[in-house]
Amino acid sequence: MLPIVSITIFLPLLGALVVMGLRRAPAPMVHAIGIGISGLTLAGAVWMWMRGVNATGFAQVEQIDWMPTIGAAYRVGVDGISLPLILLSAVLFFLTFIYSAKVRERPHAFVVLMLLLETAALGTFAALDAILFYVFFEVSLVSMYFMIAGWGHEDRQRAALMFFIYTLLGSLPLLLAILGLYLGSDPHTFDMRVWIENPPLGGMAAMLALVAMLFTFAVKTPVFPFHTWLPAAHVQAPAAGSVILAGVMLKFGTYGLIRFALQMTPDAFREAGLVILAFGVIAALYGAFAALAQSDLKRLVAYTSVNHMGYIVVGVAIAALAIDPAIRATALDGAVLQMVSHGLVTGALFFLVGMLQDRANTREMSEFGGLLKVVPILGWSFVLAAFASLGLPGLAHFPAEFQIFLATLQVEPVATIVILGIVITAGLYLRAISAVFLGEPGKKWASMPDLSLREVLAVGPLLVLIIVVGIAPFWMLDIIHKTTSMLQF
Amino acid sequence: MNFIPVVILAPLFAASLILLARRIPAALALLGIAVSLLASLALLAGAFNGLTSALTLPGLPGLPLRLVASPLTALLSTMVATVSTLVLVYAAGYMKADGEKPRFFATMLLFASAMQTLVLAGDWILLLSAWEIIGLCSYLLIGFWYRRPGVKAAASRAFLVTRSADLGLYVAVFILIANAGSSDIATTLGTGGKTAAIAGLLLLVAAMGKSAQTPLHDWLQRAMAGPTPVSALLHSATLVAAGAILLIRTAPMLSPQTLLVIGVVGGITTIVTGLIALGERDLKRLLAASTSSQYGLMLVAVGAGVPLAALLHLIAHAAIKSSLFLGAGVFQHSRESTEFKALEGVGRDRPRIFFGFALAALALAGIPPLSGFFSKDAIIAATLASPHAALLATFALAGTVLTGAYMARALHILWRGKAQKRNFAGLGWMSAGLAGLVTLAVVVGALFPSIATLLNASLPESTLAQVLGLGAALSGLALGWFVGVQRLLGPLLPWTRQGFAIAGGFDTWVVRPAFFIAARCEQLERALYDGVLSIGRFGLGIGRAARFGDERGIDGLIFSLVRGTIKLGGRARTLQSGLIHREMAIMVVGTALILAVLTVALLVY
Repeated sequence: MLPIVSITIFLPLLGALVVMGLRRAPAPMVHAIGIGISGLTLAGAVWMWMRGVNATGFAQVEQIDWMPTIGAAYRVGVDGISLPLILLSAVLFFLTFIYSAKVRERPHAFVVLMLLLETAALGTFAALDAILFYVFFEVSLVSMYFMIAGWGHEDRQRAALMFFIYTLLGSLPLLLAILGLYLGSDPHTFDMRVWIENPPLGGMAAMLALVAMLFTFAVKTPVFPFHTWLPAAHVQAPAAGSVILAGVMLKFGTYGLIRFALQMTPDAFREAGLVILAFGVIAALYGAFAALAQSDLKRLVAYTSVNHMGYIVVGVAIAALAIDPAIRATALDGAVLQMVSHGLVTGALFFLVGMLQDRANTREMSEFGGLLKVVPILGWSFVLAAFASLGLPGLAHFPAEFQIFLATLQVEPVATIVILGIVITAGLYLRAISAVFLGEPGKKWASMPDLSLREVLAVGPLLVLIIVVGIAPFWMLDIIHKTTSMLQF
Repeated sequence: MNFIPVVILAPLFAASLILLARRIPAALALLGIAVSLLASLALLAGAFNGLTSALTLPGLPGLPLRLVASPLTALLSTMVATVSTLVLVYAAGYMKADGEKPRFFATMLLFASAMQTLVLAGDWILLLSAWEIIGLCSYLLIGFWYRRPGVKAAASRAFLVTRSADLGLYVAVFILIANAGSSDIATTLGTGGKTAAIAGLLLLVAAMGKSAQTPLHDWLQRAMAGPTPVSALLHSATLVAAGAILLIRTAPMLSPQTLLVIGVVGGITTIVTGLIALGERDLKRLLAASTSSQYGLMLVAVGAGVPLAALLHLIAHAAIKSSLFLGAGVFQHSRESTEFKALEGVGRDRPRIFFGFALAALALAGIPPLSGFFSKDAIIAATLASPHAALLATFALAGTVLTGAYMARALHILWRGKAQKRNFAGLGWMSAGLAGLVTLAVVVGALFPSIATLLNASLPESTLAQVLGLGAALSGLALGWFVGVQRLLGPLLPWTRQGFAIAGGFDTWVVRPAFFIAARCEQLERALYDGVLSIGRFGLGIGRAARFGDERGIDGLIFSLVRGTIKLGGRARTLQSGLIHREMAIMVVGTALILAVLTVALLVY
């Protein structure tokens, strides 16, 4: 059988090598290669989706010996938790390449970095070997650093450094935990499937490993109070970088939270469940309130990410605390779907804010007004994405948040307080829509052009997917549920 | 054949067609809504023949979505479709001169579709979804003229107030599903005990938001910033009805205590908003306050334990109030305002419209043989038969007196004054829609006995209720016509004009605290950011001690990290490489150190 998982992962890397070889190629050709390669990658991800997952463990596993003496090997495969994220990543990268086709500043380097980032992202989600996972995880970090430092906005250097130091230091504890799990397994192996099947650590060692992993993933997700890098990085990153950062890379944190923390140290996770739940609740509410205080559109969207990712942490913690397997599955279904929804919705919002900034060179809400009349396509797209973000039924966030909240009420009724977040986000988005798009249009922006075809092609598919996932979430939940309903821990 | 999908999808399909074609929006809208009406009539006919159609759709794992056309839901569906159709006929005239007809009609159709989903929903998830989507439609339609001053605030306010109250519905739904293990509404109605009491109170909170009950009544009056057909359809007959419908449908589950709370909330609302209506200076705002007041009466009926009485009043009120709004819309076009000052004597401009308006007003006041008489009678009889007769009957009668008073006052103002003829386009369509609704407002009372049979429920009958109700209505009308509002309300007048906002209302109690917390979070945010930077600075200080010679780079580095910075420009570029090396070094040392600790720990362990 064709090793479609590996082909999908490494196709962008191949593309990057090709672009490096074509140093003299003109910018449009380089962008065309980027779009073409990421399109093929997307096709690969769709193919993987068609092959589906199975109800017993990982599917589509591909394996090659690498360092047999220490039990490390090249192992990739998918289950109902990683496959939706792979599809999401492939979609977002493809659309980001379309959006970025306007980049004229060092286009070769840009496309190479983006392709490298794509391989790293897909690899992180598909890796079944801890060493492999860590390598992909770190490579993505480096690529994003250069993305922010090279193509960001006015204060990009500082933001890039902050991002880099923060997440690099953040990921060291994960390495320790991986080593701990390795030393605890008998015979020693880095095979994540073995670790999930028989959690190698127990007692205090497991708790230490869990704390280390939680630190890493809390920085990445990000969870209050480890989130301070996020607004800085988002505000300074180029729109393409923000989309990938929020849409794909934040998911590393919550994916790791499930895959590593929950599945490899389940007992310790259950013991610490209430603490993790509290962190999730606080992050969700804090993110919402902090977003309410923002006047910069991009910062506002960045803080709502803290809010939405907080719901995912709540869902995972509830899954750990739940005794009834049906409730556990509901919570995890919600958490995984929320990752996908957040990728689609926040991706769309960052694209749209980027498009607004391209036109106005500002992101301050008070600078705008009445733009719905001037740029109706941009305006209505923003309204749709904003309502999706505030959790309106029929749009992508609702089915995910509904399941998380439903499970929360059944396991820890007090934590249902987190639902206040949906009112606060409603308030802040309506405020933003009022300030930017409603009212009488100002003279200053009277000649602002509406979305070009390239921009429509970048953001349109996301809006369609937001509606499709919102109205018919079952096509995605079927795959997710197949895995979450059989998890034993 | 199952007509449920047709009822819901026909308007949706028409809406998409309008958005794609951007031509003949009114015709397409009428076609879509007419098909929906026919399908809902078919459902109702089926219900009369004892047929219940249902539809199950895939939803969340283990929680499928359900649509059910039971006698009650089919009846409500028909009501929604009928009023929507007539209001859209009217709107074809009202919106004739507007430049953005496609957007208007598409949103109205989306609303009709969502409202049909709400009434036909057989499970909580679908009901909740439709509930929120009609909130969105309300936002879009109130904000339809989004460039006018004050409109965006009104639209945002409506969405936010109702969504805050919707949290009650969310939590109630979670509780009910968790308790019954199923999202099927019929199954969850078997819930009893404390769970049912808590869920019932939470449902009441949601209903108070949507049906604009005190203290959440204020958004509805502001919602009058939208086009008049929107007020007629959403803010009188359908969207606002969702709250009452929710309580009517869940009535079998509600405990006596919950019912009493519902009755008291409704009673207070009917009096408070009735007084507001009496003191109002604007016709549309008067009608809006009256809507809250009438829904208050329906809650009183639910509280008295006779949801059928509430349902009948809901149906009568749907026809009556949309007629009144449509009439108000014609007056508005005549005088380009809805303020009473501008509307004096407008009835003489358009006597036939005024006649229809007056018929509807009398129907609302409860004058026989118009429909409102029968439904009010049912409510008063219900309160008299309830265990809390003294309290609830007082509420119902006070509400009835107030209804008569504010309607008489409005009629008085509209009739007294000089006629000034002014022509405008679209009067034919508007009259047609109005005529249809007024006819319903007059005759729909005749259908009440067969509705009671269809639902297999009976109303308490009492001659005392009829006498009391008629007496209250007539005295209210007399008061409103003959006594000036200053004398009627006296010291209450300034209060009513502020909308009885309790110490600043929603702004003081919700909006300001939210922004206060937000500002505190932002402060904390800055402190955290500074904290991280100072940790960075601390690390750099150590670096400086170690590499004393490398002054230039470090200076730049510290500079770069100080808050409120100066532009970094070229200097920052030199930093980049230096820092990464350093961090890499730290990383290696740190890894080695912690590895050692872990190994020792494992060995010891």
